[in-house]
Amino acid sequence: MILVWALATMVVAAGLAPFLAARLGRATGYPLAAVFVAVLAMVMSQYREVVVDHETIEYVRPWIPVLRASFALRLDGLSLLFSIVVLGVGALIMLYCPRYLSAGSGHGRLFGILTFFAAAMLTLVLADDVVLLFVGWELTTLCSFLLVGGRGLAGAKPATRAFVITAGGGLALLAAVIMLSVVAGTTRLSEILQQTDVIAESPLYPWIGALTVVAALSKSAQLPLHFWLPDAMVAITPVSAYLHAATLVKGGVYVLLRFSPLYADRPLWHLVLMAVGLVTAVVGALFAMQQHDLKSILAYSTVSQLGWIIALVGVGTTAALAAAALHTFAHALFKATLFMLVGIIDREAGSRDIRELEGLWRVMPITATLTAFAALSMAGIPPFVGFVSKEEAYYAFLSTSDADWTPLGADWTGGLSAGIAVLAASLTFAYGFRILHGAFGGRIAQRGLYEPSAAFWLPAAVPAVAGLVLGLYPQVLNPLVTRTVVDTAFQVSEADLALWHGFTVALALSVLTIVIGGALFVRREQVEDLVLRVRLPFTGAQVFDRVYEGAIRFGADVGRPARSGATGAQLAWPLGALVLLAGVGLLWLRDPPPAPLPTTEAGDWALVALLAVAVAALAGVGNRLAALGLLGVVGLVVASVFLSLGAPDLALTQVLVEILTVVVAVLVLRRLPLRFRRVARPQQSAAAVLAVASGLTVGTATYLLTGRRERSEIADYLLVEAEEATGGTNVVNTVLVDFRGLDTLGEVAVLAVAGLGLLVLLAAPRERDPAPAGPIDTLADGAGVVFRIAGRVLGPVVVLLSVWLLLRGHDEPGGGFIAALVAGAGVAIMQLPRGPDAGPRLPARPLIAAGLGLAAVTGALGFLDGSYLRPLTGELPVLGLKLTSSLVFDVGVFLVVVGLVVAALDRLASGQVPVAAGDGDRR
Amino acid sequence: MSVAVAVAVLVAGGVYLVLQLGLVRVAFGFVLLGHAANLVLLASGGVGRRTAPLVGGATDEEIATTADPLPQAFALTAIVITFGITVYLLALVAAGADDDPSAEKSPAGEPDPARSEASAADETEGPS
Repeated sequence: MILVWALATMVVAAGLAPFLAARLGRATGYPLAAVFVAVLAMVMSQYREVVVDHETIEYVRPWIPVLRASFALRLDGLSLLFSIVVLGVGALIMLYCPRYLSAGSGHGRLFGILTFFAAAMLTLVLADDVVLLFVGWELTTLCSFLLVGGRGLAGAKPATRAFVITAGGGLALLAAVIMLSVVAGTTRLSEILQQTDVIAESPLYPWIGALTVVAALSKSAQLPLHFWLPDAMVAITPVSAYLHAATLVKGGVYVLLRFSPLYADRPLWHLVLMAVGLVTAVVGALFAMQQHDLKSILAYSTVSQLGWIIALVGVGTTAALAAAALHTFAHALFKATLFMLVGIIDREAGSRDIRELEGLWRVMPITATLTAFAALSMAGIPPFVGFVSKEEAYYAFLSTSDADWTPLGADWTGGLSAGIAVLAASLTFAYGFRILHGAFGGRIAQRGLYEPSAAFWLPAAVPAVAGLVLGLYPQVLNPLVTRTVVDTAFQVSEADLALWHGFTVALALSVLTIVIGGALFVRREQVEDLVLRVRLPFTGAQVFDRVYEGAIRFGADVGRPARSGATGAQLAWPLGALVLLAGVGLLWLRDPPPAPLPTTEAGDWALVALLAVAVAALAGVGNRLAALGLLGVVGLVVASVFLSLGAPDLALTQVLVEILTVVVAVLVLRRLPLRFRRVARPQQSAAAVLAVASGLTVGTATYLLTGRRERSEIADYLLVEAEEATGGTNVVNTVLVDFRGLDTLGEVAVLAVAGLGLLVLLAAPRERDPAPAGPIDTLADGAGVVFRIAGRVLGPVVVLLSVWLLLRGHDEPGGGFIAALVAGAGVAIMQLPRGPDAGPRLPARPLIAAGLGLAAVTGALGFLDGSYLRPLTGELPVLGLKLTSSLVFDVGVFLVVVGLVVAALDRLASGQVPVAAGDGDRR
Repeated sequence: MSVAVAVAVLVAGGVYLVLQLGLVRVAFGFVLLGHAANLVLLASGGVGRRTAPLVGGATDEEIATTADPLPQAFALTAIVITFGITVYLLALVAAGADDDPSAEKSPAGEPDPARSEASAADETEGPS
């Protein structure tokens, strides 16, 4: 439970940090440091139980049962070690921030994300569920991105590189943990680690290992993916110190340590990690020698040191794991110190370039001393903790020959790896002294400088001094390191850390390191010349940028056809795909079954000929009004086709829709130029080709499906039973309101959305300025007397007609849709002559709402008889009419469609272009 | 057969129009495609029987030659929905969405035919 409280405290603190920062400014770091210390105390309160009593603290809550994932936390030695680093260094950084940051507000984001990062990191190291572990991992990546990217444009590219590399590693980890949980049948990490045998038999076993290694190497900035880390140094120094030296980059180490039992007897796992780690250790140190910026030196130093740790994980013996754990700890101490001190130098002297800095020890003796502490620890000089961890590491590398996984007779492996390690450590020694000499040695150039206040250097002094104390008394760490090794490797091996182990081989190697490193330092000018001459022809960042930009360009190329404003360019692709698919489909076509009845009658061809003429004319015409007329002709011909096919309801609907379409279109077209804009000829030809191909395709398909079977069973059922079942004799209408009422309800909802959308799209006339007169308004001024009188007389008649059609719809052609269209025509006749702003008008919105509501509620009446929209057929003889629930439903349909028509007339009839378009593209 | 030809004509015309510039022609193209789709719906029920499905007092013989009512019901709602879409597209045009960005409007809200003609001619090669 204490673990949840610890985590929750961090998250709450992260949430509150921005508000605190708004009041306290940069001083927010102090209360946050107190929170970090409090949480550290919570975790440390379990120290005795975990380390001395060898217990584990667990907390499990179901989280995503479908994935079997649980919110499981577990504190063992390894988690404890990393938690101490995360919280301890975090507290120091929080103490450091107030003096480093500028005065004033605006640091809320930084404090919030830093604290949230700590929470994420804590989640990562405490998670006992692989899904939770992955979530923590990704959150740390995200925080890193936000913190690096928070530096504005300068940080954009480095932040992107860091994010893509580490998030790519995150995907690899995700794949690995999914496979693991599938193979092991659980997402609990502690249970998975107990099933090494089961997992090793799975075919996924090597993939899991490879993906885990890739993930860890990307996070821990190992070659060749190291380049994001030096780049990320554009972030402010507290961020670099905390994320990119002490904690985030250790995430990879943590995961490798956690997963190492699974691959304990796999030589390849060990060899890959050792090879990558040692190469990175040496090359990273060489890169550090090339740099002049103190922060860059430290960045490459971090790359090198992480390589060192990962090589130790690769060795995998208990001694090596102990050394890895200790060095993780030691590195966090000295590297955080160095970063903080570089930040101080940067702030005080205004530069981080060792070619510009000189003799600072004369004016900043405390800073110089603390830097010396940390640098000596890094260089592995006694009596600092770095020396102890390096001794342990030498001992561990030498033990490679004795590891279980090492093939028999490969005794040279220990010597080889120890030799490379000595090389890396010598280079570390050299650049450690290079930092010291570069910043503090020589004469003072800037005499006006002085030591910063204690508040600034104290956060750096704590780990620097801790490095000395732990170097003198390393046995303090014995229980924790022992416990860490037990929880990592499941093997008991008492750690025996000491400053003095007697005259051992490791000591000899240490002496050798100091001698080589000293020589490299003494002859630093020649060494620097030599190192600077060795430059790769390209950097990792350049390669990354090339690939990254290539990927984006490829995506742009793929998406280009869709990035046109012209609808035609968008539609051509699906249409072309349709033709292609149909063409491919034709290849599989067997002989279609013969049609049982003739599919053509003599009169049909006359209609088709009319249709063809009208469509061709419509395609070619350049005049908008002529096009509208031709569209009406096409609609009427189609209505005739419907009639000839025995569908009078459809024909009626089509005719009415055609009338209303013309009315609405005229209202719109009067705002537009008379003629269409012409299109370039090649474009026209392409459109024509695609049009003909589409027509042929769809026509062929229609021919192949027309009349190839008998009338459907459901049609027979409907025709025979409809009257009995519903009391209606117009079968089409009974299908709409009785048999398939839910479909109709959905369609009516679509119409309601169209109507409401239209109301939103075009602002209400009364909300605009007084209308300048449009053509129809001119009619209202007196020119259209006939139209007005006719409207007054005919309108009510038409509306009455629509009511009659509505009532008879169940038995004869008619019904809600048709009646509503007729009523809409009536409304148009009455309203248009009066002009847009005259007289009372029907409210569209309430009509639509009432209609949809009525239809939906009527459907609910069906529950009385068992199910939604089940028609109630009891006939009530009211005024000689049959009153059924279907009729009420149809009234709902009626109201919605009338609402749509009214909305269109209302908003389009006013003589204005809406505000939105008034000053936009149209000038 | 005749319905298939009608569908082919309507689809060809509709596709040609939706590939043009200007939302009005696109809207008209959609109307044609809507017609075509409705005819395909009817064709799926077969076109060999052509008596209207009004069964009040119909004999068995009449019922045997009656058209399939189900596709008709589908097509009926489809017609009205096509109308809704057409109205919506036209409202987009009215709201100033992409129809002839080149078009100039006279202050009275009435287009000047001569002017538009000229500007249309200018724009023949223009990008959309």
